[in-house]
This record gives sequence, structure tokens and C-alpha cells, in this order.
Amino acid sequence: MQDYFRLENVTVQFGALVAVDAVSMAIRSGERRAIIGPNGAGKTTLFNAMTGVVRPTQGRVLFDGNDISRAPVHKRSAMGISRTFQITNLFPRLSVAENVLLAMLGHTPRKFALATLPTLNPDEAERGAAALEMTGLGNRRHSVVTELSYGEQRQLELAMALATQPRILLLDEPAAGLSPRERVIVSDIIRALPRDLTLILIEHDMDIVMNLVDYITVLNNGKLLVEASPEKIKNNTDVQDVYLGRGGQDA
Amino acid sequence: MDRRTFLFAGGSLAASIPLSGSWMARAQGEPIRIGLMAPLTGVVASGGREMVDGFQMYFAEKGGLIAGRPVEIIVEDDGANPDIALQKARRLVEQAKVHLLFGNLLANTGLAVANYVESTGTPYFIPIIAADDLTQRHRISNVIRVAGYSASHFPRPLADWALAQGWRKAATISQDYTFGHEQCGGFSQVFRAGGGEVIGQFWHPLNTSDFSSYLGQLAGLGVDVIFAMETGADATRFMQQYRDFGLKGNIPLIGAMNMTDQSVIRTMGDEVEGIVSAAHFAEGSTVPATQEFVARYEAAYKNLPSLYGFAMYSGAMWIDEALKSIDGDISDTGAFLAAVSKTELTGSPLGTAVKLDDYGNPIYDVVIRSLRKRPDGRFWNEPIAEYPAVSQFWTYDPEEYLRQPAFSRDYQG
Amino acid sequence: MTASLSSDSAAAAGDLSTSRVGKAATVSVLLGALVLAALPMVLPNYQVSVLTEVLIFAVLAMSIDMLAGYAGRTSLCHGAIFGTATYMTIWLAQDGSSIAVAMIAGVLMATMLAAVFGMLAIRTSGVYFLLLTLALGMVVWGICLRWTSVTGGENGLRGPGRPEFLNDHVSFYYVVFVCVALITLAMWRIVRSPFGLTMRGIRDSESRMQALGYNVPLHMFAAFTISGFFAGMAGALYAVFNNFVSPSAVALVLSVEGLLMTIVGGVGTLFGGFIGAAAIIALENVVSLYTERWQSVLGAVFIIIMIFAPDGVLGRLKDGFGKWTSRSSR
Repeated sequence: MQDYFRLENVTVQFGALVAVDAVSMAIRSGERRAIIGPNGAGKTTLFNAMTGVVRPTQGRVLFDGNDISRAPVHKRSAMGISRTFQITNLFPRLSVAENVLLAMLGHTPRKFALATLPTLNPDEAERGAAALEMTGLGNRRHSVVTELSYGEQRQLELAMALATQPRILLLDEPAAGLSPRERVIVSDIIRALPRDLTLILIEHDMDIVMNLVDYITVLNNGKLLVEASPEKIKNNTDVQDVYLGRGGQDA
Repeated sequence: MDRRTFLFAGGSLAASIPLSGSWMARAQGEPIRIGLMAPLTGVVASGGREMVDGFQMYFAEKGGLIAGRPVEIIVEDDGANPDIALQKARRLVEQAKVHLLFGNLLANTGLAVANYVESTGTPYFIPIIAADDLTQRHRISNVIRVAGYSASHFPRPLADWALAQGWRKAATISQDYTFGHEQCGGFSQVFRAGGGEVIGQFWHPLNTSDFSSYLGQLAGLGVDVIFAMETGADATRFMQQYRDFGLKGNIPLIGAMNMTDQSVIRTMGDEVEGIVSAAHFAEGSTVPATQEFVARYEAAYKNLPSLYGFAMYSGAMWIDEALKSIDGDISDTGAFLAAVSKTELTGSPLGTAVKLDDYGNPIYDVVIRSLRKRPDGRFWNEPIAEYPAVSQFWTYDPEEYLRQPAFSRDYQG
Repeated sequence: MTASLSSDSAAAAGDLSTSRVGKAATVSVLLGALVLAALPMVLPNYQVSVLTEVLIFAVLAMSIDMLAGYAGRTSLCHGAIFGTATYMTIWLAQDGSSIAVAMIAGVLMATMLAAVFGMLAIRTSGVYFLLLTLALGMVVWGICLRWTSVTGGENGLRGPGRPEFLNDHVSFYYVVFVCVALITLAMWRIVRSPFGLTMRGIRDSESRMQALGYNVPLHMFAAFTISGFFAGMAGALYAVFNNFVSPSAVALVLSVEGLLMTIVGGVGTLFGGFIGAAAIIALENVVSLYTERWQSVLGAVFIIIMIFAPDGVLGRLKDGFGKWTSRSSR
């Protein structure tokens, strides 16, 4: 069985601005893919089209053979498409545990329960605890989000995305704004993710990208510039021109 | 008690006013506590204050005594809001343990309190609350309209008088609420029955600042007379704009007594001259009793009395007279209420005897009044015609009358 | 690491649940309930009726707090929802329905209205939500004022009076007390339930909630309707309490007063509704004895609370206590 995440000719237009211009790509089950490109290349918009925050003006989004182009965010989430946000997007007044709890209840009918306490069954509890351990927040579960450091908040973003046992995980600049030491932590976390989890990653940090992914898609001005393996991208002159900077070997 | 309680102790507040000695002599025992509610804040606060003034003036003149017993008046602000009125009534009855309640200005506050006292049995007197049904379809035995009137009461003789002027086509304009619906209903019903035609009826929201669209339509109807029902600031603005629009002098303006009441016209000028209304009281009357009252009121408050002051003063007198007839014994509510109902008020500023009809509404000699300028430049209502012994049912048979629905926007007689 | 995860899953489940109630909180709530139960034995009759009013308005304040404190939406139409139940109850009761039937119909009517309002308002937030709910409330007020044949216009409707056994203030108080206790318990369960956690999640981040698989508009709709259901319960009780209804029961002033009670008590504290309602009704009753300008005094008190206890009285107390929840006493 192969989980395919496919974009067919996806165009996203805001008024006169074409943010994503006829992009097609196919991602295999278990693949780790990076989407790179300079600022304004349309990476986050493409993510939004994948997760349902925006609907493509043209083209189709397919997941596991189903056309999900018009499915709202929460439906796509229920299908197993999970994401993190470029700008930290947590529940700041809730505790770490409650953040994870909300993440895990999102896919259960128990989220509508009115008269019970929010609890998890042993399976889920284990998964939640594992997600927290994996992201290094095991001993922070009772802290309120606003008490966490920025790095810990980024880790919690990952923990919440992981706790739901997604089939595909979209990470929007997971290391944005982190110190070098914290970046190492985050990239270690990502590397330790189960190998069968499909991963799409937007990232500026080339070290992280080069070490983590199988394949790279480069966007420029909303258009797909090139798709290739990390080594080939490194040596692609077009990419160097638009992104890595003319003549630069290592960004 | 708190500082808003007024306890009249032996003439201290009214040394200059001659007291009737025989009642003084019997001043003894527990005071009679009266809960007085009036809107002291909100849109009708000025009227509310005049209610309190008129009421207190009576007891000040009587040396703080009612039927020989000291009187304690506890004033509460009903905020022109029925829920607050209800809360205050509860406080007065249950905490201050008043023997009787008096007052309220707006019909909805009065109806709320009336509904409450229906369950407690507390006597409640409403000289200002004019809601027709309190003395018609929904009477409550312990709610009595002493010295008051029902809303549709006085516009009826006014309609008859208008017909007598040869006017056959009329239009009405009124604030869009029950008090207006009832007054216009009384007018329209009699006007139509007498062969007149009511061509247009206009209802505008309370607190209308610009009447031009209404006045424009009124001007185009080609009517002989316009009946207006306005209170407070709306009344002031309406009469000013009636003049500014050039209607004054072209179409005669007649109106509800509250529109030309002193509380409205006190600060106004020539624009009010000649506006005709109907009421039981006219401050410009030549009747000696009225003149004396007006003079005393002016001396006390530097203003000509409004209907509010007059009605509350007369209401206080009514209760005083009723209590005297049962020797000041208020312990038996049933006997007290019966005494109130039986009382024929002879000494009121009206100078004529007033008694209640079988439904608890007073029967009055109604005067048609016109606003005239006094030598001192102030305007007042002078009687120009009189209709003796007018009941709230006009010439109809009460039983038959009560079978028709209450007046509303949709039912105007 | 793996050992601790697999061996002790029950403990892990506990650890992931929301903070539990601290001892201090439990004791305070029980103490408060005890005081409310005992007060009628020492208070004079009139104060008992004021206390009854406090309980009823506390329910209104809590229903507003459910939205404001938990879902982050400040409603200005809850007075109208409350008053709709009052109107319906009185309207049916004066027509001869039994008081219980009338109350149930009143609550249903309010819930239906809340559902309709919810559908219109849930997609907005912040000041737009505030203005939209304000406008919706004004529509109800306008209808009650104008639809004279049904609502009695500005004169309102008069009820038939309470049933005989509820006529004295003390027995009526205890009936209201039991109702309010049950209502409060229900609200407490709801805000502590997964659904309550969902509301808090929506308050903090709608986009994240969607990304986690929550149908945010649906949850908001449910939250609004449930909150309206409770406001309706308060309104139905108020109908029996006052035995009278006029447009002032659906007026904006009532919505604002309810919101004020919520804020004074402490937004997001639920039980703050009792403190807020008690404070404002006491102010109205006490201050109005001494001055006609009691509304100005109320305004001043409100400003003082905003400056010195922006989280409300209960919020302030909680901060002072420190050890309120298990989070801090862990």
C-alpha cells in the first residue's frame, strides 16, 4: 500500500497575486520531502492548500486516492494530515498536558462529551506520553504554555502533531527562530520520527534539510523550479542562483 | 431610617401654614408609613420630582399629619424601569413595612407594581398611572386611581369639542406606546362616532428629534385639526417644529393634556400659544380653590404646578380624607379601601366634588383649556369650555364598552 | 523512558488530564453553598427575595462566562435570550398553562433563539461578535416592544402569580436554591468536560483547533446554544420570581449588567458569577437608598475593579491563594 499525497496543477490566487502557480508534485508513502525556496516563493501557501486553510483556485489535491481539494481543515486532519505552524500556534493559557490532550481528543467523538472529565484511554495516554517524551517535554506536562521557553514551545508543536498518529506530517519551519543548540534538538527529534511516517518539511536551515530528507522540491515565485535529491539540488545552478546565492556551495 | 425618608414632625416643615387644630390634637401613636415611588432618574425624572413635590406639599401643609397621625414618607426612585419599580415596591412593602404605596409615573412601572401588590394586598394609589385597563378590564381591588385619570378619558370630550368647532377631518400623531394608543383611541372613537373622519394616524418612536417627515405628511392631508399626544422632550420639540414648519396658524393643533402641561411648556414661548387640550385641572382657572393652590405651589416651588404636582397633592388629600372617615385606623385594609372608594373629595384644588365611578376611576368636570399668555409673560392653560361629570366611559354603557378590546395601534375604536 | 511509558499507563492518563480541583477550591465552594443555604434563616423577608434574585442572576452571569471566559466570546445578547424565556414563561402561564410547562417552554424557546443567534454569530469573534450579538439582542427588544398583541408592548405581561406553596419568600428561595445548585453543577461539569476544554482551545487558537480536527464552527454553535440554554433557565426562574415581564427584561441594559457581573466576579472562573451578581445587586439595593445616582456609583466601582482586580474578584482571590489548583500544588 502506498499513501500518495498528490498535487495536480495547484494554483492559489489572491486577487491579482498568484501565490502558487500550477504546481504538481507526488509524494510517496514514507517519503521525507522538503520544500524550499526564497521568501515569498509560496511555500506556506502551498502548505495551506495541502491542509485546507486555503482552497486551490485551480487544480486538485489528492490524498490516498481521494480528491480532498474542497475538504475543510478539520476533515483533512481527521484523515491523518497533521501539521505544525511556522509561527508558534499553541493554546497559550493551557498546560502542556492539556495541549496534547486537545490534540488527541480532536479525532475522537469524545470531544463532544459534556459530563465527563477529559481523559484518555490507556492506548492514547501511552501515545501522548510517548509524544511528550520524544519531544523532550516529559517533565513539563503541567507547565502552562506561556511558562515554556520558545524552544520548548516549538517542541510542543511537534509533540501535538505527533500525538495524533498522523499518516502524513507537514512541518512548517520547525526550527524557525531557534538557537543553534535548540536546532540540534529539533532536528534530532525529526530524525527520530518513525521511518514510515510521510513527512513534508519547509525549512530554511539547509543543514537540517540536507540531513533529513530524501527529496527536495524548490519553489520560486510560486512556480516549481526543480525537484531532485539533496545532492543534485546542492549542485543545481538554477537553485544556486535563486536560493543558495550565486556561487555558494554551502549555505 | 435612611436619609431619603421624610418624617414630618409636628409642623416643623410648615410653620407658616395654618393647621387644622382638631387633627393636631389627635396626633399620636405609630406613624403611617407611605411608600412613594417616582422616577427620579431617567427620561421622565423632572416629572417624577414634581410628583414628590406635590405629595410632600400636602403633608407639609397639614403639619406632617395624616388623619391626626404622623406620616412617614419613604421616597424611592423607580428609575422609569418596571423591574426596578418592582424591586423598590418589594423593598417598601417587605422591608420598610409601609402601610400603602403611592405613585409611579410610567404605565409600565405602575402595571408592574400593581401586579405585585395584587399578591400582597397592599393598598396602592396611582394618581399618575393612566393605563386604561387598571380601572377597566383588569381591575385590582387594592389598586385605586385616586385623583388620577385613565388615558382615553379626557381626549373624548376634546373630540366632542373639536366636532363642535365644525371640524370634520382630523389626523393624529402620537408617541408609539400604549399611553399614546389609548389617548388617540379615545379621541378617534368619539370623533368618528360624531360624524368626523380620522384621515391619518402617525406613530413615532419615543425620543424623536426630527418631526419634519411627519409634519410634511400631516400638512399634505388637508385636515381641519391635528390631535397630538406627546410627552416630555418630544412634546417640546413637536410644538417647536410645528411652528417652524409653518403649520401653526394654518391647522389648529389640539392635544393630550400632558403635551401642554406646565412640566413641558414652562420653558417655552409663543409657539405654544392657543394649543387646546382637555383635562380635569387648569392652572389658569378662575375657580378660587384652584387659584389658591396655584399661588401656594408657586410660593413653595417657584413654578406653576404641573399635573404631576396637582394630582399627587390631590391624591394625598384623598387618602387623608378617607382615613379621617375611619378615625385614622389603617389596620383593616378592607375597611380602608372601602373608605377610599366612598370618599367624595370636596376640598381639592379643583373646587368641585370628585368621586370614583364603580370601576375606581374618578368622574370629573372636564375643562377644555387653551394656552394663553399671562401678564408676566408665562403661559398657562385657561379654561374655555366645560363638560360636567365626565366618566372614563364617556356616554357609553360601561358593560358594553368593556366588551371592546383595549386600544392599541391596531384598534382605535 | 519506554519502561515508564508502558508500565504505568494509568498514571500517565491521569497526568494528561486537566488540572484537578484543589482542596481550597472545594472547601470554598462547599462553604459558599452552606452560607447560601443558611442565610434565609437569619435574613429578613425582603433580603431573602434579594438573595433569590442574586441566585437567578448568578446563573445568567455564569452562562455569559461560559462563552466569555471559556470560549473567548463576549456576548451582548444574553439578556435578550434570558428575557425571551421570561416572556415565554409568563405568556404561557397567564394563558393558564402550569408553571412547570411554561418554564420548560420558556427554556426551549430561549435555547432555540440561542441556536439561531449562534448560527449567525459563531463565525465572528472579537468586536464583531460583540456588535453582532448586540444587534441581535436589539432585534429581540424591538420585537417585544412592538409586537403589542403578544408581548403587551412596553407595558409588558403580568403573570398569574406563583403557585400557593411558593408564595412565601423562604420556600421560593429554597426551590430556586436547589435549581441553581443543579444548574451550577451542570455548568461546572461542562466547563471541565472535554467539550469545555475544546471551548478553551478555541478561545486560545481557532486555527490550531481546526488543524487538530475540530470543526470549530460546530463547537462554537454548540457552546452558544448551551450557554443560551442556561441563560434561558435563569430567565424562566426570573419569570416566576417577578411574575411580570416587560421589554426591560430583554433590554441591552440587562445584557450589560449580566456581563458586568461576570467581569466583576472574574471572567473564566464560573463561580465568580455568584460574587458578581451579589456585588452588583447589593450595590443597587444599598446605594440606591442613599442616592439617586446609584448608577454612577456602580460605574465607579466597576472602574475600580477594572484597575485593581482586572481578573475580577474571584480571579484576584485565586491569585492570592496561589494554591488553587493541583497544577500549583503538584
